Amino acid sequence: MNFNGKILLVDDEVHIRKYVSLILKQLGKPVILEAANGQEAVDAYKANRPDFVLMDVNMPHLDGIEALRQLKEFDPACVVIMLTSLANRDTVERALELGATSYIRKDTSKEEISKALTEIIDARSDAE
Amino acid sequence: MITLSDSPVVARVADRNGCDPKFRLRSEASAPRCAAMVSQPTTAPFQLTGRKILIVDDDRLNLRILAGILKGEGYALAEADSGEKALDLYASFRPDLVLLDVMLPGIDGFETCRRLKRDHGPASAPVIFITAKSESDDVVEGLGAGGADYLPKPFKPKEVLARIRSHLQNQILSEQQKLLVDQLSKANHAKNRFLGMAAHDLRNPLASIRGLAEFLREGTAGELNPDQIDLIDTIHGAATSMLVMVNELLDVATIEAGELKLTIETHNLGDLVAKCVSMINREAAKKKTHVVYEPPPEPVLLPMDQAKVKQVVDNLLSNAVKYSPPGSTIQALVGRDPDRGSFAVRDQGPGIPENERDKLFKDFSRLSIKPTGGEKSTGLGLAICRKIVDAHHGAIVAENLPAGGCEFRFTLPTTQ
Repeated sequence: MNFNGKILLVDDEVHIRKYVSLILKQLGKPVILEAANGQEAVDAYKANRPDFVLMDVNMPHLDGIEALRQLKEFDPACVVIMLTSLANRDTVERALELGATSYIRKDTSKEEISKALTEIIDARSDAE
Repeated sequence: MITLSDSPVVARVADRNGCDPKFRLRSEASAPRCAAMVSQPTTAPFQLTGRKILIVDDDRLNLRILAGILKGEGYALAEADSGEKALDLYASFRPDLVLLDVMLPGIDGFETCRRLKRDHGPASAPVIFITAKSESDDVVEGLGAGGADYLPKPFKPKEVLARIRSHLQNQILSEQQKLLVDQLSKANHAKNRFLGMAAHDLRNPLASIRGLAEFLREGTAGELNPDQIDLIDTIHGAATSMLVMVNELLDVATIEAGELKLTIETHNLGDLVAKCVSMINREAAKKKTHVVYEPPPEPVLLPMDQAKVKQVVDNLLSNAVKYSPPGSTIQALVGRDPDRGSFAVRDQGPGIPENERDKLFKDFSRLSIKPTGGEKSTGLGLAICRKIVDAHHGAIVAENLPAGGCEFRFTLPTTQ
């Protein structure tokens, strides 16, 4: 795979951004934009129009759900994948109702995250 | 809530050896004021002054005698001359105890008692029937109607007071126990919530530590020398075992909070075990231990939550490897009866010390036997197994084998 699209990676935890960035870089040469909360995510999306957004649920200032709502309002076609962990199941359901494309469990192994990201990227290139 | 006028009653929970909490109630009550007619009781653990008693009798003379006996003890009294009035008064007066005549105009004492227990529940005030000697055969019926005791007429003041005191004390004790149990169950609930939250919040950073260590190990940030690789492997191993522990804590918290939800589908236990065995053999190879498994000729189809049952099988297999001497052979078996399927694992370990058998499936219990390769244990694995098997209406047992070693076996019903 040689994915070289633009990805907006949103998480308030810097270790998650580093970790997921490294996994993404193994999948190709993507341009990775980072944001640390929902507000930064919405601003960065408007300014950069990434191919898709990977976004945490629980964040300060503006959480993932509200940011998702605003992104969908701004661009109904935007592709947002939620980054979640075990306990956020209810929130994930809410996100999917609001138009999130899918979700990735970030508390799993590198292989599993990598596999989930590959599926998302594949689905994106098929769509284009 | 319990209010005890001027006697502080201290309830303490003594946790002996981590087993059943024992209630110890200590009262620092001064001796109650003694009534003119009664000598001071030798044991008076509770101050009962101010406790409320409802007296129900249609005979005014009886009412007056009883009231006279009780007033001297400092009880608060209310009187009724019929069952109907008693029931009305009960709701507003909220007595701690009811003295109830059996023969009453309108509904009799037994019926009054039945209605009282029906309307106010089993925790309502104890009812003591007042009976003439000739009615003593009826006492059985009275106790059946929810009564706690009876007082024979004519009254002996000492006996009246002693019985009332005894019932009031029992009532206070049971209220206190209820309160204590309530507090303990709240504390346990809070503990589970805390455990769940803490474990959950630890998962993400731990998963990152482990994943980032893998990147370093792969040379993503430059080639490493053998010493650096050794350090990274140690970090990776520590993060992995912490993740296992955190996951176990999370499981316990989830199950204890009653949030274990099974997704039941029909699966072949034989296939599931085959996958688990092939996984565990990679781990077992490090100790030159081997798990042998002969899949059953027919599929063993059972309704189950596949992920959860896999967790149980993994845990039992990994325990067998953990506690077996290096180089030994472990046997995994799948079988089926008409109404259930079973999985068993037989190891060549030291077996389970007889005196520790009852600890085996309990939370945080570690036995005196130790893993043979220095592996870690939270003492939660088997407790989780039991909870998962229970949730499937199955059974899990452990037995020492005559030839040495032990067998862990669970059975799951073919219909849920």
